[in-house]
Amino acid sequence: MDRPIAYDKLAREDRFVRMRARDVAELKVEQGLPPFPDLASRESIRERVHGIMVGELQAMEGAGRTVYDFPDAPWEFTMDMARQVWDESRHVETYLGLLEHLGGRVGEFPESTILWRCACAEDAAARVAGVNRGLEGLACDVFNQLIHIAQKIGDPILEKSVDYVLADEITHVRMGSRWLNELTRGDAERRRRAIEFQETIDERFNLGGTRQDGHHDVVPISIAKEARKLAGFTDEEIERLVKSTQRSQVY
Amino acid sequence: MSSERLSGHFSVDDSARRIRNYRYAEERLTRVLGGWIALTPELPAKLLFGRHVWDCAQHADAWGRRLPELRAPAQQSEPANDAMVAFMRLLETPEGPRQTLERIAGVYGVLKPHLVTLYARHLASANPVYEPPTRRILARCLEEERRHAAAGAIVLGRLGAEASARERVTDWQRRLSDALEKAGGVTGDATAPLVDRALLGVAPESVAPDLVQTPPDFDPAALPADLAAAVDAHREALEAADGSGVTPWVAPDAYAVVDAAFAPLAGITSTRVVGLAAIGRQQMVKLRVESARAGGLVQLRWAPTPSGWRIVAAELVSTEPVSVAP
Repeated sequence: MDRPIAYDKLAREDRFVRMRARDVAELKVEQGLPPFPDLASRESIRERVHGIMVGELQAMEGAGRTVYDFPDAPWEFTMDMARQVWDESRHVETYLGLLEHLGGRVGEFPESTILWRCACAEDAAARVAGVNRGLEGLACDVFNQLIHIAQKIGDPILEKSVDYVLADEITHVRMGSRWLNELTRGDAERRRRAIEFQETIDERFNLGGTRQDGHHDVVPISIAKEARKLAGFTDEEIERLVKSTQRSQVY
Repeated sequence: MSSERLSGHFSVDDSARRIRNYRYAEERLTRVLGGWIALTPELPAKLLFGRHVWDCAQHADAWGRRLPELRAPAQQSEPANDAMVAFMRLLETPEGPRQTLERIAGVYGVLKPHLVTLYARHLASANPVYEPPTRRILARCLEEERRHAAAGAIVLGRLGAEASARERVTDWQRRLSDALEKAGGVTGDATAPLVDRALLGVAPESVAPDLVQTPPDFDPAALPADLAAAVDAHREALEAADGSGVTPWVAPDAYAVVDAAFAPLAGITSTRVVGLAAIGRQQMVKLRVESARAGGLVQLRWAPTPSGWRIVAAELVSTEPVSVAP
């Protein structure tokens, strides 16, 4: 097996329709719709849940590749990544169930592979910075918002399931913080590149101004400051993220 | 205490060596299963691997932690011999999207049943007075590997029910078993049979809950009736090579892109709707297309217009020659 594999080797059942996220967003805007699901209707929640399910699938695949791609990394790193594979497989199962709960089906919306591409960084430190801190950090924001919506619409199944997934994501961010430090100890240049990669991802996943600082009821995706603090992000990092959302391009 | 109870089969050094051999197998399994997840299209197999990566890692870890208690360095893996390395390399080789059956058959039909056999034999002979730390790890690994093998057999049965698939699986398992035999099994000294089927006694229904419930296959009934009628009419025209029947379904400014998408699949013999994804009010319809020389997947974007559904964009996702070896 190649180490790492090419992006386009990501294997899917025929039922999945793959498209670039930007193309999907633009097509929606052309139709007078919001570029990303705004969670204002059950259908929109279903679309968001489908997007998360696909994201969890790619997170499982990415963590699996990390287990394979870095045989010389410390064994404890491999253990953490293997544990993450298992967690992500449960998240896939959870979101498959939620999709059914919401009356949806697998493949109902296009899949974009931005997340997978981020998981293909060649350096292990960049991968944990980008995936565990950048993307799993985004997951904290998205899931926190979803829990809030579930409470608002009185859906305890959605609320409880996502709350457990959020707990796991916080753990994954912690893993990312630990391994970013350990893998780059004594190598400032490697650390700088890894953090830069994470910041590119943070920027990209501000989703054209969709992620913002503010209350759940006011902004489309609210930055989950408390969950992020629990996960080990510093106040300074959170502040930097907030600032980056303010300069993000809007579709 | 009778001195009988103190008799043992393995010296401390022998035991450490065997444990390094076990760790080699479990570590390789951890990495291979992890690496395969992204390369495997079918959800049941993808999620099967996803479930078991962590178990295998914990087995490798437990063996690795036991080593210092046996005067050996912690967390070291050691293949029994070069033939064992060759076996693992062979096991890893099926990485194509159409080789899921080989992947499952190798791990769940050969290596894991062999580990069950080794662990059970070792457990039966490990001394109960001075080897309980090893026995506990053996008992755990034995139980979990047994369940893994049973779960893998269920998924293999689901994905490989056809006769040709069963033949492929049998051939592949024979090749792997020969390679494993050449190595003398994971420990290099295993006696025949390397897989004792009598030790694999787990009722499939008892492991069914370990498997992720995956959704049913795509059902074309998911298409709204008016779109289904348009898609079917377009497909029939494609299959009949009826250009004048195809054209009305394509928006005029999409003629070129639609023609280009289907060009490598000239001489279409059949089409099938395999996917449907919504982009707002538009629908992406995914077709599997077969022609005399090639098969492929085409995504067509249909949009509602005042005159009904029309194709406004098309993309050829993949093509492959008709007879593709797995």
